[in-house]
This record gives sequence, structure tokens and C-alpha cells, in this order.
Amino acid sequence: MPARSRRRGRWWAIGVAVAVGALLALLGLPLASLVIRVPPGVLWARLLTPASLAALRLSLVTSVLSTLAVVALGLPAAYVLATRPFRGRRVLEVLVELPMVLPPTVAGIGLLLAFGRAGLAGRVLGWFGLSIPFTTLAVVLAQLFVSCPFFIAAATAGLREVDGRYADAAATLRADPGHAFRRVLLPLALPSVVAGAAMSWARALGEFGATIMFAGNLPGRTQTLPLAVYMGLQTDLESAVALSVLLLILSFTVLLGLRLAHRTPRVPWLGRAAGGGR
Amino acid sequence: MLRAAVAKRRGAFALDVAVEAAAGAVLVVVGESGAGKTTLLRLLAGLDAPDTGRIAVEGRVWFDASAGVAVPPWEREIGFVAQDYALFPHLTVRDNVAFGVRAQGLPRREAGARADAALERMGVGALAPRRPAELSGGQQQRVALARATVTEPRLLLLDEPLSALDLGSRQAVRGELRSLLAQLACATVFVTHSPVDATVFGDTIAVIESGALTQVGARDELLRHPRSPYVATLLGVNLLRGTLIGRETGGVAHVRTAEGLLAVADPGVDGDVYVTVNPQEITLSPEPPAGSAQNVFRGAVLEIVPEPPAGDRVRVALATSPPLVAEVTRQAVDALGLRPGMPVHASFKATGVKAYR
Repeated sequence: MPARSRRRGRWWAIGVAVAVGALLALLGLPLASLVIRVPPGVLWARLLTPASLAALRLSLVTSVLSTLAVVALGLPAAYVLATRPFRGRRVLEVLVELPMVLPPTVAGIGLLLAFGRAGLAGRVLGWFGLSIPFTTLAVVLAQLFVSCPFFIAAATAGLREVDGRYADAAATLRADPGHAFRRVLLPLALPSVVAGAAMSWARALGEFGATIMFAGNLPGRTQTLPLAVYMGLQTDLESAVALSVLLLILSFTVLLGLRLAHRTPRVPWLGRAAGGGR
Repeated sequence: MLRAAVAKRRGAFALDVAVEAAAGAVLVVVGESGAGKTTLLRLLAGLDAPDTGRIAVEGRVWFDASAGVAVPPWEREIGFVAQDYALFPHLTVRDNVAFGVRAQGLPRREAGARADAALERMGVGALAPRRPAELSGGQQQRVALARATVTEPRLLLLDEPLSALDLGSRQAVRGELRSLLAQLACATVFVTHSPVDATVFGDTIAVIESGALTQVGARDELLRHPRSPYVATLLGVNLLRGTLIGRETGGVAHVRTAEGLLAVADPGVDGDVYVTVNPQEITLSPEPPAGSAQNVFRGAVLEIVPEPPAGDRVRVALATSPPLVAEVTRQAVDALGLRPGMPVHASFKATGVKAYR
């Protein structure tokens, strides 16, 4: 029945086109609206106000610090997850992935209960006269909590993908595990590790829920860009839009950069996106 | 000097072998893929741990299950060439070769000089600044050998070092590798599935079949006196087992095999013997032969295989009892009109049959 199958093929093509068009509209309209809402000149002026600049600087400083911490703490975890089969590894993997799907507000409450005055860690810190909530350090901790899964997932996948023959060759060439990691495993997995760090940084930059609950909304100390957008919505829409556009451009640049580097961040449960060949 | 006796079980497969190799000598372990050759090398290298056994090299114990000793690979002072070489793709050839001595703590400059010298010895000094991906198979193999030997290992382990090469470069590399191994002071264990490589490289040859050594001996001993069907097939001879049951005058003895009686050249021993029949000694004819051959077996032609590289020799597999392989000229095949399924008589003289214990 060639006519019938041709007709069926046409309906299929139309159905796919409609679905893709609807999705593009849903994703694209809000983004386009952001960009065309306020003229560029006004955007620029709003970005250069002291309040906006303070939020921008705080966001950059905290997100870079949290990303450094994520790499420093996450790389050993990724190494263990990638190279050591051990009892309970699945459980540990889920635990490390959990912040990815957990509502950030839940993370915020957890952080407060842990590091707050009456919290498990908070009480110990209190003996030394230290208090974390509502400080810039709290911002960094909140970002670290929500963004580390992105790094660990990509780094683990990258390290796991390095051919075991290279680790074997290194071991037979007098390299103890530390030397083999630095000189062979890490260099070979570097694209994934860098991609993971970039994703983690982008996530930290956009972090809102856990930050506002755990660190509050203190301009100059804990008010990052997303928090400033939220405040601006109530008092100064043009500033909110300007900061939103800035965040949009930063995120877009990070993702595009990763794509252009011919590497998509490898999140195991999503598989590798098409076009991410090497 | 290597002395090792190791056992390892993995699912249904079990490896249980004992090997020895003197310093400066090459032990070839030959067997089909899946026989346990690579597993044995990985146990010797320390990449896998035996279930039981002991490994000692030059008096140092690397592994001893009963004493709880297990020296990790990076402390074993080995050289290891994997089947596909596993050169590090992110490092230059020089840095690949320098890797081992760098890991030992040699400063960068000295390690580079050592690497250059090792590459020079292998005749590939000019490749030092290149990346492994830019090299041919033969070049990669030389670099891998330089990398494995620059650390002056106490034991060199080679896993099918020639199998990744095309035929042309294999011939050239075979000769180079032989002279390289002859210069080395350490023991070498060389595993291969190729009987040619086994006889070219092995001072001692160990035949491994499904995880066990079925014959170990000096090359010439193995060539003269195969003791397993696998070795006989490797060498291309017919191997039978039987019992010597009597002898007659004229140096002829009789051996009873599971498939029938054989007249053989008197080995001068009694009891159970191995019997080999050289395929070139076997004559094929459609009718029962009239000549003086004492051994005649009737059966159909199974298969006719040209025997490379000679070109005019052909191997004919026969469905006789016992099964035999004859080697005849192509002209004989044409003259007799041999084809699969055709019944023939295979005959050979007692003097062409060798029996030994």
C-alpha cells in the first residue's frame, strides 16, 4: 500500500514538526521576551548601578570559590567512584546525585539545620564563636551543595571511560596510583573534568533557593545575581531584566563553549547528547 | 631467574601453571586464544592476584599466597608490552618512553636523555617528538619495547608482541626483536598463539591448553617429540598414542593404538609410547598399494588445503581411523583426481613412523 504508507509518513512528519515547534516556542518565547523587553542602552545603564555591580561581583566570587571547592572535594570522590568497586557504591552514587533533583529549598533547610545555631555542626562551630548562616560563606556552601553533582557525574563518567589498558601500562611502568592518576588518568579525562567544572560553575551561578534560605538576602554579603533579580521584580523591573539577560548570556556562553569544544558534559543517566563525538 | 607457580579461577575457567625462566632466556608460552596466556602474564605482572601460588624473581618474592605477600605491579620492576601496546595517547613518544624512569624519580632532563637513547637503540630516535597516533604499527611496537626496557626490568613480559602487525612489518620486526631479546640480561616471558613465533623466539617453549601446561621443553625437544595433539597440530604432524606390543627382526615394532595396529621403527623402549607420522611420509592411492608399506589405512578425503608458502605442497585431511593428514604435491592431487569424499588408501612405511616415550 504505497499511497497509504506515504500518507502515514506525511502525518508523522507534520506531528514531529508541530511538537518541535511548540517546544521551541515554550523555551524560546520567555528568553526572547527578556532580551527585547528593555532597550540595550537601558540594560547597560541598569547593569552599572552599584547594587547590580555588587550582586555581580558577589556572584562571580562565590561561584568561583564554590567551583574550586567542588573540584577539590569532588575529584577524589569521582576517582573513588570511577576506579574502586566497593560495597555500597550505588548508594554513595545516589547520595552524591541527590542534590541534582532535590528542591533547592529542601537543601536550604538541611543546611540551616546542620550549620544553624542548634545544628549538628553549628553547635560545634559555635564553641569557637563561628556562625555560618547569613554569611558569604553560607552562599558558597549552598552553591557547593547544589552544584557538586554536576561535576562529580561528569568527572566520574570521564575517568571511568579512560581505557583500563592505560592504567595497567602506568602500573607496570613504576607508577603508583597517585602518579598514575596525575600523569595518565587525569590528563586523559581532562575534557570531561573541565566540562563538569563548567557545568558546576553555571549551576552555582544560578543558585537561588538554597541561598535565600541558608544565607539570606543581604545586599553586598549574600545577595547574588539571582537574588537581586528576585528583589528587582518587586521594586525595579528594568534592573531585574538587565541582570536576567546577563545571567542568560553567561549560561548560554558556557553551554555553547562546551559544545564547541566538541564535548557535551557526560551525565550518565542522560547519555551523551548527539553531536558530542570526538 | 623467574620461578612461578600460580593458580587462578575465574568462573568456569581455571588457570594452574608453573613456569621457570633463566635470566637472559626467553620462555615462550604458546596456546590458542582463551587458553590463559594473557591471564598468566597479568598474574606475573601483578595486575591480577592469583588465588594461590608463589612468584619469585631473582630471589625476590613478588607474590606468596601462604605468606600473604603481594607486591604491587609498580614495585615489581617489570617491563610489560601489551598486545596493542597501550602507548599513552596524550604524551609524545619521548615522554612515553621516559614515563617509567620519571616515575622512578629521575629528573626530567635525564629521563628524556635515557628515553632518547632507548629509542635510538630501537632505531626510532627520530620519532621522539611525535604522538603515538602518528606512528605505524611497527613503529608503535618499537616504542613500546623501548618503553618497557628503558627501566632495566628484572622480568620482561610480552603479550603477542607481533600479532598487531601486518605481515610485512612482522617479518622485519621478528628479526629485530630476536636480537633485542638476546641482548637483555633479564628473563623474558613471551606469549603467542603463533607456532612460528614460538619456535623463533623460545629457548624454552611451554604449551598452554585450557589453563594448564601440557608440554614444556627446549625448542628442539618439542619439535622432535610432541606430546599433545595441540603441539602436533602446531607442528603439522600426526600424533597417536599406543602401547608397544611386540617387535620383529629388521628394526620394526608393533604398537597398538585405540584405532588399530601400527608398524613403527623400533624405539628400543617398551610400554606406552607416542607415535608421530610425518605427513610427507604418507602416500595416497585409490587402490590398495602393492609396495612394501606396512601401514595401510582406508578412508575418505575430508579436505584439501594448499600448504603455504611452498605453493606446490598440499595437505590432505583424511577420515581414516585414526584420522591422518597427508602432505602431497599438487601434481599428485591432479594425477589421482583427489576431491573431498573420495575414498583412498593412505600408506606409509614403518621406518617413517617415529615412536618415543
